[in-house]
Amino acid sequence: MTDVTAASTETQPPAPWPDDASLAAASHGGPMIELRGVSKEFLGDRSSTTTTHALDNISLTVNEHEFITVIGPSGCGKTTLLRIVAGLIPYDSGQVLVKGKPVTGPGPDRAVVFQSFALLPWATVLENVAFGLETRGIPRAEREEQARVLIKTVGLAGFESRLPRHLSGGMQQRVGLARALAVNPDILLMDEPFGAIDEQTRRIMQEELLRIWGYRRKTVLFVTHSMEEAVLLADRVILMSPRPGRVHEIIDVPLPRPRGRETERTREFTDIKELLWDKLRVMQTV
Amino acid sequence: MLVAFLTFWEVAARLAHNIGIATFSDTMVAAWDLMFGNGRIWEAMLNSNAALVLGFAISAVTAVPLGLAAGRSRILDRALSPYTAILLAIPVAPLVPIAITAFGLSLAARVSIVILFAVIFIYVNTRAGVRSVDRRLVEMAHAFGASERTIWTKVVIPSAVPAMFAGLRIGLGRALTGMVAVELLLVATGVGKLLLEYRDRLQPAYVFATVLFVIAEALLLLELARFIERKVAPWND
Amino acid sequence: MAAAAPQPTASAAPFDPAPAPRRPRRSLARRLPVEGLSLLAGSLLWEIAGRTMDLPWLPPLSMILADLVTLLGQESVRANILASLQALVIGFAISLVFGLVVGALMGRFLSVEAALDIYVNALLVAPTIILIPVFFAIFGLGDGTRLSVVVVYAVFVIIINTMTAIKTVDPAMVEMARAFGASEAFIIRKVMIPASMPLVMAGVRLGLGRAVKGMITGEMLVTFVGLGALAARFGSQFDMSKVFAVSLIVLILAAVTNWVAQLVDDRLTRWAD
Repeated sequence: MTDVTAASTETQPPAPWPDDASLAAASHGGPMIELRGVSKEFLGDRSSTTTTHALDNISLTVNEHEFITVIGPSGCGKTTLLRIVAGLIPYDSGQVLVKGKPVTGPGPDRAVVFQSFALLPWATVLENVAFGLETRGIPRAEREEQARVLIKTVGLAGFESRLPRHLSGGMQQRVGLARALAVNPDILLMDEPFGAIDEQTRRIMQEELLRIWGYRRKTVLFVTHSMEEAVLLADRVILMSPRPGRVHEIIDVPLPRPRGRETERTREFTDIKELLWDKLRVMQTV
Repeated sequence: MLVAFLTFWEVAARLAHNIGIATFSDTMVAAWDLMFGNGRIWEAMLNSNAALVLGFAISAVTAVPLGLAAGRSRILDRALSPYTAILLAIPVAPLVPIAITAFGLSLAARVSIVILFAVIFIYVNTRAGVRSVDRRLVEMAHAFGASERTIWTKVVIPSAVPAMFAGLRIGLGRALTGMVAVELLLVATGVGKLLLEYRDRLQPAYVFATVLFVIAEALLLLELARFIERKVAPWND
Repeated sequence: MAAAAPQPTASAAPFDPAPAPRRPRRSLARRLPVEGLSLLAGSLLWEIAGRTMDLPWLPPLSMILADLVTLLGQESVRANILASLQALVIGFAISLVFGLVVGALMGRFLSVEAALDIYVNALLVAPTIILIPVFFAIFGLGDGTRLSVVVVYAVFVIIINTMTAIKTVDPAMVEMARAFGASEAFIIRKVMIPASMPLVMAGVRLGLGRAVKGMITGEMLVTFVGLGALAARFGSQFDMSKVFAVSLIVLILAAVTNWVAQLVDDRLTRWAD
């Protein structure tokens, strides 16, 4: 099953690495995502006396073409943060702006990749990838054509008519990624996308993601609980602390791109990872 | 295994010396006669199944939309819940005389009893199917900007299909029970009439054979339902 | 509403403001006793329809309730209820013993399962009522018919659930017990039985519900005693109000037995919630 990976990476041309100038030319010139003092409480289920302070006064700016990872101990609200930006849940106070406009719900400028893959079990790979286009009312022929392109991009050519349950976890998340890319969003929101995938496949998926991201360099907000993953992928790592969820620190990752496995062997990578661990272990309650 | 069972039946029946018990061989002879001799089983089956088909169709057509609606609307669900509980618990047999009083000894009376037997299981399962939809899939659809209608047609209804079919299968079995019940209790027609007649004439082989025909029909119908389900919902093996 | 609570951070931009700070409240619909109101409305509707339409098969609810009280006051009716209960208890006890033993054997031994599986399944899905004339032919008007009807209604669902329960006990748990050197008897007593209890009890409760149905159906068809015979008699006299009243008694009986089973279930499977 994982053979596909090897085959696909060979057939794919190397990512054309866009220079900063051409990216800047395509830019609309402002921050992509802006959070200003965002707070969120969850009410207890039955008795409204218990409330969880999920997010407390979060402020954060994500620029265009930036790859941001969010990491923190469980309960720090990192997934809540992502869901708020996705427009899936309301927030209590503050402001969330995407491309300068307040978020009132999900929008065509953002696409989400879910930890659980969230593939429709009755739909084929092709139908799943085309789902986002279908919701936008794009005619079948057109959306399937686009979906096929993305299926090829994620290395699943030949699997178009398979059902999700016939795919391995890694392949299922390739479908999830293709589905998100198919709607051509400005922003990719990824909620621990590789959290349910085994370690070996996960490493391949990280490289694949970096390769695909290289084509367009979409803005990415990526939630993870893996320190290697956070550092390997990101331009900046947002470190969050729990109860209440706050931005603890923002760590720059000035490692050169394109990155790959060799990046992990560099001294700089290890230093940043260790720095992250030093900060995390202080807030980690076991 | 089947051979062992049939031998056991034959031997036990011969040893039992009970006027009500037919041997396997006698039952087979009677079955042959019912099919190709006097041929009465066909007419009886046709007659009985008219009520079954109508009653089951009406049950499905009402219960599935109602189940979908109750799965969607919390308030409708709660309003219906006491009646659901009553219909699930109440034995329908005592209500047969009431249907007869309402509709006379007609097809309508038989159909109404079949509905009373079948409808609640289809409703309950459809509702449960809607309720058990994976919230993560709904959230995914929301995230991709799907409209309420799209979520309903592309996510909720497909995921309710397996439970719905399970309900239809149970409902089918219950509809068969209803069909036979009303014929045995009050409207002597179809296979029920055949059964009572042969019982009163002390021809157990014919009673047994008729029973076997009804059981065979039940198993065939359920197999058919499974077949259709596999065609409609192949992702759910 | 927007005017009442202006957003402190809202700008003059022509966009909708961010979702207003929301404090989810219990909505009105969630606090209303919808079930009770619905039942009340249905009862009223029945009463009105019964009074105005004057249909022989739709007596007003009040009349049914009055008949219910009258019936419960009669010695002969109470004797019939007792007779029904007796058939139910004995028949269900037989089903329970038989169902648990056969189900356990089928769950434990593949050969037993292979031998019996198709018959159990066929009898579970086939319309059980069809067997009543057969029992009548065999046992005649006696208790044998009543009891055997209750048993065939109840037993198969108990068998199937018990078998499934035993088969689906987590093998890792059994292996764990073996690894600690537990004996086979110990494993059955301390692992298999508790682990299979929720599903077994589910089968027992389903079986009890079916036993009530079998009891009443059997009595209607073949005997002169019990609630079923009572219903059949009132039915042939076209006294629909009393037919409904007897149905209510059966419904109450079903509810009470279910409640008892629930209590037992809760005690035996407390760990499972």
